[in-house]
Amino acid sequence: MSLTVYIPGPLREFSEGQSQVEIADSPATLADALAALWIIFPALRDRMATEQGEIREHINIFIGDEDARFTGGLASPVTPDAEISIVPSITGGSDLRN
Amino acid sequence: MIGQLLGHYRVVAKIGEGGMGVVYRGHDEVLHRDVALKVVKKDAQLDLVGGKTLLHEARASSSLSHPNICAIYEVGETNGELYIAMELVEGNTLKVLIGETGLPAESVLRYGVQIASALGRAHDKGIVHRDLKSANIVVSADGLIKVLDFGIAKRIDSEVSEGTTLMIDSQPEPSSVSGTLTYMAPEVLRGEGADYHSDLWALGVVLYEAASGQLPFAGRTTFEVTSAIMREMPKALGPPVPAGLWAIIQRCLVKEPKQRYRRAGEVQAALEAVQSAVIVSRDPAVDRNAPSTTVLHGVQHVQVKKGDFLLLVGTTKGAFLLQSNAQRQRWKVGGPYFHGQGVYAMAYDGRLGQHRIWASTQSIWGTLLRSSDDFGKSWTNPQEAAIRFPSDSGVSLKNIWQISLGRTEEPSVLYCGVEPAALFESRDSGETWSLIRGLFDHPHRHRWMPGNGGLALHTILLDPRESRRMYVAISAGGVYRTEDGGDNWTAQNRGIRVTFMPNKYPEFGQCVHKIVMHPDRPERLFLQNHWGLYRSDDYGENWSDVANGVPSDFGFAMVMHPRKPDSVFIVPVESDEFRCTCDGRLRVYRTRNGGANWEALVRGLPQKGAHETVLRDAMTADSFDPAGIYFGTRSGKLFCSHDEGRSWQKILEGLPPVACVRSALVEDTSGPGLRPTSPGVSPSTTSSRASRRVTTNPRQTRR
Repeated sequence: MSLTVYIPGPLREFSEGQSQVEIADSPATLADALAALWIIFPALRDRMATEQGEIREHINIFIGDEDARFTGGLASPVTPDAEISIVPSITGGSDLRN
Repeated sequence: MIGQLLGHYRVVAKIGEGGMGVVYRGHDEVLHRDVALKVVKKDAQLDLVGGKTLLHEARASSSLSHPNICAIYEVGETNGELYIAMELVEGNTLKVLIGETGLPAESVLRYGVQIASALGRAHDKGIVHRDLKSANIVVSADGLIKVLDFGIAKRIDSEVSEGTTLMIDSQPEPSSVSGTLTYMAPEVLRGEGADYHSDLWALGVVLYEAASGQLPFAGRTTFEVTSAIMREMPKALGPPVPAGLWAIIQRCLVKEPKQRYRRAGEVQAALEAVQSAVIVSRDPAVDRNAPSTTVLHGVQHVQVKKGDFLLLVGTTKGAFLLQSNAQRQRWKVGGPYFHGQGVYAMAYDGRLGQHRIWASTQSIWGTLLRSSDDFGKSWTNPQEAAIRFPSDSGVSLKNIWQISLGRTEEPSVLYCGVEPAALFESRDSGETWSLIRGLFDHPHRHRWMPGNGGLALHTILLDPRESRRMYVAISAGGVYRTEDGGDNWTAQNRGIRVTFMPNKYPEFGQCVHKIVMHPDRPERLFLQNHWGLYRSDDYGENWSDVANGVPSDFGFAMVMHPRKPDSVFIVPVESDEFRCTCDGRLRVYRTRNGGANWEALVRGLPQKGAHETVLRDAMTADSFDPAGIYFGTRSGKLFCSHDEGRSWQKILEGLPPVACVRSALVEDTSGPGLRPTSPGVSPSTTSSRASRRVTTNPRQTRR
């Protein structure tokens, strides 16, 4: 039994082109699962999280169908067969700054 | 046979001949088009497993309609002659193009995407190629891939399939071992039959061959080749093959079929992901079929040579390079680089023979400092962000607003001004960066307020005579100066009015939009404020209003003349409420007397309905005499003047909103670098960093 992390297209250049990564060592929390993912593919860390360890503002992490923001954030528990999705927010509108 | 009719095809000329058949150029007398006619030899037909099977499969393949699949028009039999009428493709086989050295990575990716796309279509239709190899893939003159002989190649014979096209520079198989065997998957060798998985294996072999010029599994005898396929791992491909491409090839070449990609579409997506990232190119001359300007995933590249002049243009949706010569009349546009990402800062570093372009990129995936040493053909894409706040700072990088080169005597020094307001320094040509704590720990910092664009340190000025003196401008914090190389900083805002605060002349908190200095007169600074034009003649100690004769003293951009310390250019905008040019007239204003008065420069600029905005770093000068001035607008137009602003021309329009413009004169693309083009910026030196070209190198281990 392994946990699956789904990698969105823009990040696959940092996951050897893989759209999903299996993590077999039964992480207890989302933070543990992401730490395991980032050991396998280190370049994903800075794309997903700030240097303070927070998930970037416009990136959503889903555990199954639940947005992890509402299940405890990085401390959210994950099951050994959980499916974790990294989903970029739909953003747009004003981005011109000066 | 020449001149005869096969069905409604007139046989025109013989193209090639193999053991199993002859290929002719034919002409379709009904549809009036040239075709390739493959006529299977009678004795060969007798050897076929079954002519009906051949006909059945060929007819199935003819249902495939895809731009990268060589179309089969018709399978027929006339007077006992079995023939296949096919699309006539003119070009080289991929095998010929690969040669002995392989292709640049960008070509491998470009061709690989097309081959995978063709396989995907066939697999969706239930058709397996069975004999995919570089010899039956043709690259047309315009770079379009055509995969030949879907579903029939194996049934007929590979030699015949190679003859279906009019090939230029075709060459014989170099190996005594059958070309087909070297593409054969382990399960096929075990007799389990060919399916989609074995096509993906063959695709991996083709990609490996294209990237390296070598077959992954080779040997002098059939036994050696078979043994290698069954048991050995291919020799690893390192730079310049991108790590991402090598990873894709490895997954195609997994011995166990079910551990390969599940569909050709997955391979295509993975190749596109690598393709849209950094493309590391080998010598472009190796790709004999490539056009002089390479088109890659919608990105246009420019070929830069000694004496060329460049404009670096950062926009809210990517970066562009504009190339011209000293006349600056005709421009070629490279880009867009970093699709969809905000590029608020760019810089050119030509020190000690380097030709490095720096760019900051901002997206939902973070902010990174990127560089290119080949004029945009490839860019670094570091695993870890080099500019990052230390963990004890409690803050995270939002954007990089300014990239500045160090002084002449500091050849490896670079500075970056960032948001939230802070200054970073690199003393090793950008390899590593450190936060200037003296400024970050300044007691004022917690009382700085973000302006409309965020709390940004956007301007860095170095005093060329005092190596420890430096200025920064922060919006909204004001001007700060250090006299000791960054350990201590003092606010230098006396006389600068703050319209939005109860105290109109505070010590700090000014929303400074830009400051400039001429290196020949470092005691004098000019400042464009959020309302207010100022000059200081005493290193920023005191400021006086110089808004004499401008339609508005609100504005963002400000540029110093490269040689005349009293001459400055600005683009006033109406107000902070309506940040567009006054009266719908696009006017650059210039002072030639240190701000005693300003004159409008309008010739060639739209003077009606032009509600434009020029952002703070979207204007620059060059080093020519007379000086050229360049600016980009929020509406995506780019203007230039060759005569110090007397007259203007529009270079380009239709760009995304322009955030920054920088210029560079390429002195020599092989030797010493360029002269500085921005006043206040001194040339210095950078070290070689070829090792940084590899962009991703994830660990291979799994847990």
